[in-house]
Amino acid sequence: MAIVGSIHGRFIIFNNHKPSIRHRQRRKPTPPIFISTNLSDINPNHLRDLCSTCNHSLHRFPNILPDGRIEPVDVDKLRIALLHSSVVVSVFAKPELVRLPESNTGGDWYRRMIPLTPVTGELVGFGRAVSDNALTASIYDVMVTPTLQGRGIGRMIVQRIIRLLTSKGIYDIAALCSDQEMCFFKECGFGDDMLGSTTMMYSKSGSDMVVSAGRKLLMVPPLRKS
Amino acid sequence: MQTSSSSPALCALIPVDCIFNCSNQIPYPSTFSLGLSTGSRKLKVSRLQAGFWESIRSGLIKNNSTQVIEPPSSSQEDEEPLPEEFVLVEKTLPDGTIEQIIFSSGAEVDVYDLQALCDKVGWPRRPLTKLAAALRNSYMVATLHSIKKSSGEELTEPNNEKKLIGMARATSDHAFNATIWDVLVDPSYQGQGLGKALIEKLIRALLQRDIGNISLFADSKVVEFYRNLGFEPDPEGIKGMFWYPRF
Repeated sequence: MAIVGSIHGRFIIFNNHKPSIRHRQRRKPTPPIFISTNLSDINPNHLRDLCSTCNHSLHRFPNILPDGRIEPVDVDKLRIALLHSSVVVSVFAKPELVRLPESNTGGDWYRRMIPLTPVTGELVGFGRAVSDNALTASIYDVMVTPTLQGRGIGRMIVQRIIRLLTSKGIYDIAALCSDQEMCFFKECGFGDDMLGSTTMMYSKSGSDMVVSAGRKLLMVPPLRKS
Repeated sequence: MQTSSSSPALCALIPVDCIFNCSNQIPYPSTFSLGLSTGSRKLKVSRLQAGFWESIRSGLIKNNSTQVIEPPSSSQEDEEPLPEEFVLVEKTLPDGTIEQIIFSSGAEVDVYDLQALCDKVGWPRRPLTKLAAALRNSYMVATLHSIKKSSGEELTEPNNEKKLIGMARATSDHAFNATIWDVLVDPSYQGQGLGKALIEKLIRALLQRDIGNISLFADSKVVEFYRNLGFEPDPEGIKGMFWYPRF
């Protein structure tokens, strides 16, 4: 289903097969997916598995295991994080699609008749944003399963998050990203801060009174006595 | 993009293993209001909560005078930072009045005072309702007030001056990430280590709750200030990007 809207005389088509206006490179078409912004559709265990598949860590400086993979996420912490995120977007696809992304047949007629819902589909993409619901917001943890990357799913997740935030009146949207993610966010419309601010993260390590966050041991500032 | 909700007529076609998947789903109540209950600094009063089945059972049994009390779930105890208040600095001014600088976290901040403080520092004005909502929904708001009292008077006398002189707030998802916004100290009180105390207290509270990713966006003038507190600019290539709508 294609909805055609016109903004400033330029036609913008909102559908799965969005033509790239700027680049003429051929991008694979977006597969049929189900996007949900409902928190109750997400199973934290599936989300943890998705994190492991995408090799994405929720800690900024993750512990890397000897075989190169990232330490799996604690499910309880994940649950708390989801509960307190202002916007949560999850993307589901039919399980056959995840295993064989290029196939067009999609299995026998029996499987094709099953409607795609968060229950029948497999979690393939995720993104969330934390905000104070008034002024500012930060986007974290946007991930898409590797076999379905490069198809526009990630961009759709980010655009859905932005749409939900702007509908609440929040226009100051930030995203912390590493080198690999920078190109992706630039494509989605993010850029360096116009006011020239520097991003800084707490990374002071210490010997005693430390809290571990991934592979960093962050020093807890001592109690000052006046 | 399929956005239709599944109708009950199609339920029969869902294979059996999907029904089992349903029961494994963690039951988030769909009426949970996201974002509205976070960060609100309600006083931690233990409420008498009756479990659903216990209340039915107690109603069925006659002459049952026992009250069904469910202790507040332990997961809620660590979620919100406990409000605290203490005197940070106390000094005597040349004219005899005693000035105390009180640190408090979790106290209600008057948006008008905050607006006046922002003006003093030279920040652009923001809508007051949005300011109030932001403060309510922030994970932690730390404030500094200055109380001046003439020697000999009690602190509770109404003609004491209580002024807001500093604030810092942090938003968080209560588990992994936190971002510190809006750190400001009254210009006439700067240079005394008050800003440092504010930030250190915030970091301490966040780390004690195991929140490891603490980030902030610093103006070029204050990068050095945060560097001294243990913040690293662009660590390991991580950058912050902002959204600019292209029409």
